[in-house]
Amino acid sequence: MIEIQNLSRYFGQIKAVDDISFTVENGSITGFLGPNGAGKTTTMRMMVGYLQPSGGSIMLDQQSIYKDPILTSTKIGYLPEHNPLYDEMYTLEILKYIGDLRKMGKTRFKERLDFVVQSCGLKAVLTQKVATLSKGYRQRVGLAMAILHDPEVLILDEPTSGLDPNQILDIRELIRNLGKEKIVLLSSHIMQEVQALCDRVLIINKGKIIVDDEIENLGKYLTDYQTLNLELEGEDVDIEALLSDIQGLKVEENLQENNRHKIRLSVPGDKDLKHEIARRVTAKGWLIVSLYSQSKSLEEIFHNLTKSDGQGKPAESETDQVQDLHSDIAVLDSESDAKSTQADEPTQISLDNPPAEDQDEKEKS
Amino acid sequence: MNATWTIAKKEYQLAMRSVTSYIIYVLFLVISGATFATTVFKLNVAELRNLFGAIHMLYVFFIPAITMGSIAKERSSGTIELIATLPIRLSQVVWGKIIAAFLQVLTLMSFSVIYLVIIEVLGQNVDYGAIITGILGLLLVSLAYISIGVFASSLPSNQVLAFVIGLAISAFFYAIHFVFVIMPLSLVRYLQFFSFEYHLSGFMKGVLDLRDVLFFVAICLIFAFLAEFNLQSKNMMQER
Repeated sequence: MIEIQNLSRYFGQIKAVDDISFTVENGSITGFLGPNGAGKTTTMRMMVGYLQPSGGSIMLDQQSIYKDPILTSTKIGYLPEHNPLYDEMYTLEILKYIGDLRKMGKTRFKERLDFVVQSCGLKAVLTQKVATLSKGYRQRVGLAMAILHDPEVLILDEPTSGLDPNQILDIRELIRNLGKEKIVLLSSHIMQEVQALCDRVLIINKGKIIVDDEIENLGKYLTDYQTLNLELEGEDVDIEALLSDIQGLKVEENLQENNRHKIRLSVPGDKDLKHEIARRVTAKGWLIVSLYSQSKSLEEIFHNLTKSDGQGKPAESETDQVQDLHSDIAVLDSESDAKSTQADEPTQISLDNPPAEDQDEKEKS
Repeated sequence: MNATWTIAKKEYQLAMRSVTSYIIYVLFLVISGATFATTVFKLNVAELRNLFGAIHMLYVFFIPAITMGSIAKERSSGTIELIATLPIRLSQVVWGKIIAAFLQVLTLMSFSVIYLVIIEVLGQNVDYGAIITGILGLLLVSLAYISIGVFASSLPSNQVLAFVIGLAISAFFYAIHFVFVIMPLSLVRYLQFFSFEYHLSGFMKGVLDLRDVLFFVAICLIFAFLAEFNLQSKNMMQER
């Protein structure tokens, strides 16, 4: 179990991570979501001990990870964001190097090598130079290095970036299997991935955690309305008249094909109206083909939360954002010696956050 | 296997694969060979002191070139993040790099066996004692330069900058004795302590002084420690 309490990290005056707390349980996969520069990588770097936090504590199995760094690093497998590798080395050689540095014995190394080669699909490239590998294969080598020593905790910074769709499915399957007994924390800005893989999701924006919940419970962060899909067969159907007394209900769409209707309804609040609707429809003698409420996609939630100020309030007005931008520039000017790239990123959030996000989405999909 | 050795072995293997290393080696051997040929064939002297002097000078340029990438490259390519999250200590990283560079210097120096053979064949009354202590002295001084170079490489993430810094520090220790002639004697007495040339002169004459050995070992340790400290202070894990 990893417990993080009041973790903060500053780059100069800029708060990259601002007083966050969360716990990650064993045998679960936690997704770490957030726009560019939200503080995902900084948090992960602190969790593996690469960066020192400015404040707060990180406990792994009730012990601070800084108490015995060597012990900590034997428990953690880490795939860094840009997946740095030694380009001049061969795939097998780099795995052997990591195995040696992790002091794995010969037999154990062989055993684990077989496993990672199998599970990451590296057989074809074992005798190739890392520099000649495609991005997808590089990513797999990085992942293989992270899981080589069978760590308790896996911290993966965008594990599937650069992979083709088939590879993504393979790697997801692998991560899912690993997540059964280990602690897996992965960051991503691909919503579908988090939705497909994770048990829990943490959404972070501007260094603060704005959502920390099970993936099924996320619906409540989008309570403005719910969507119901109704498909029915019958004659002289007038659904609006039938449901007119339900407050705020709107028929968004009504497609008719002979006597079959496909209807999409939107209702405010999250009250379950399926029974009520079904009763009324059957009372009319119409036949229900299907009736279900559409679950809200994580994408929608993510977009809603990160473009607003994080409290579920509507997005700031444009003038606010412009002012925000000016003050950010002022901070930047005074901090012109802050060379770190991380330092620059948070200022860009308010600047072009929603468009940048959209672009990312397009690129990924 | 010990992590220091693992790192040293890998660094050495990679160096032996890279073209840059071979350019450095060839240049080094050509210049030292030319110096040797001049002494032996033109001046008809069967001794290696001139050669050793030239090699010492070459160290100042070539060792920073060998070590410039050692840590700076890890930083610029991001692999330092990988290393920092492995169960190894930073001192092991630093010493691995130092040993790898020293192995490279040893490889280079092994070519000077051919000079020994030539001297043996052509020369009379060769002072083997001075040659052996001379080689020992050169190896010791190379360790000091390597340590300086690795420290310089731990400062910036740019390799060229690392080379320049390494060259500047090395040149200080090498060239300080040239300034002695214009300095008051009272000052020279203290400053000559820092001159590598001063400490090396005993070795060249065939005299093995423990103080000189300790001096080079101390310089090596100091800069290795500085490199480690510098890495540690750059936000790595505490007490690694």
